[in-house]
Amino acid sequence: MPDMAKDIQKKEAESPERGERTRTRRVYTPVVDIIERKDDIIVIADMPGVDEKSVDITIEKNVLTISGAVEAVIPENRTMYVNEYGIGDYQRVFTLTDEVDKEKIQASVKNGMLKIVLPKAEALKTRKIAVKTEA
Amino acid sequence: MAKKTIVPVQKESLPARREDLNPFALLRQEMNSLFDNFFSGFAPESFETRLGAFSPRVDIAETDKEIKVTAELPGMDDKDIDVALTRDMLTIRGEKKEEKEEKGKNYYRMERSYGSFSRSVPLPSEIDTNKVKADFKKGILTVTLPKTPQAIKETKKIQVKAE
Repeated sequence: MPDMAKDIQKKEAESPERGERTRTRRVYTPVVDIIERKDDIIVIADMPGVDEKSVDITIEKNVLTISGAVEAVIPENRTMYVNEYGIGDYQRVFTLTDEVDKEKIQASVKNGMLKIVLPKAEALKTRKIAVKTEA
Repeated sequence: MAKKTIVPVQKESLPARREDLNPFALLRQEMNSLFDNFFSGFAPESFETRLGAFSPRVDIAETDKEIKVTAELPGMDDKDIDVALTRDMLTIRGEKKEEKEEKGKNYYRMERSYGSFSRSVPLPSEIDTNKVKADFKKGILTVTLPKTPQAIKETKKIQVKAE
């Protein structure tokens, strides 16, 4: 159901993934696109409010964890008229296969969008084998 | 004062669903929109708005001195965002583009949404239009609309006395 998933732009995480948290903030699950290319797999996550300093990516065995901390300055005695999004941290966990070369993972953040490039392991890259005619 | 004028955001551009609410608030909101929409005919929402065309989430907050409109626009470029202010309406417009480099791609998951959007926020008249600032940082657009000194002055606190 890709269409249903697209509807959710930012969803609160149902339960903080992997253990308890030390910060009493809301946690949101960032929406992601996962795209496979010839030599790599890209994960793009929408994390508004996050920059390169506040995002944290860890790999533990085969588990890739993305987390982002959002520090928002909320002025005192304000009145909210429209409140469509919540402010909080982000977290999402993925399991990687052996297909991914974990040493060469790269990540970048731009305008609140995180992009992780997971290169495929050398041995598993799609290779084209030239077919020769026998002499 | 400004409360009434600032509340409605253009109806057709409201996001179809708000998943981050708690179930009770969601139910209440659904009920409200049911009643709100009852007399405005039965025109169904377009499929685009129902099924995830990009429509940014907006927060509007007022403090004593200013009104702040913030919108989540992750992955967009400041060049692709257009903020326009007419006398009584603030319009945020733009297009979230899909990255082009991913040609011949193979999607495993597609949760993010793309497309052009336009959202308008009616403003109370006491905005100092010359001092409006828009700022785009970390995927969040903040439009700061300071009130005119006159409007700030007009807000009076009324003492409540016990007899």
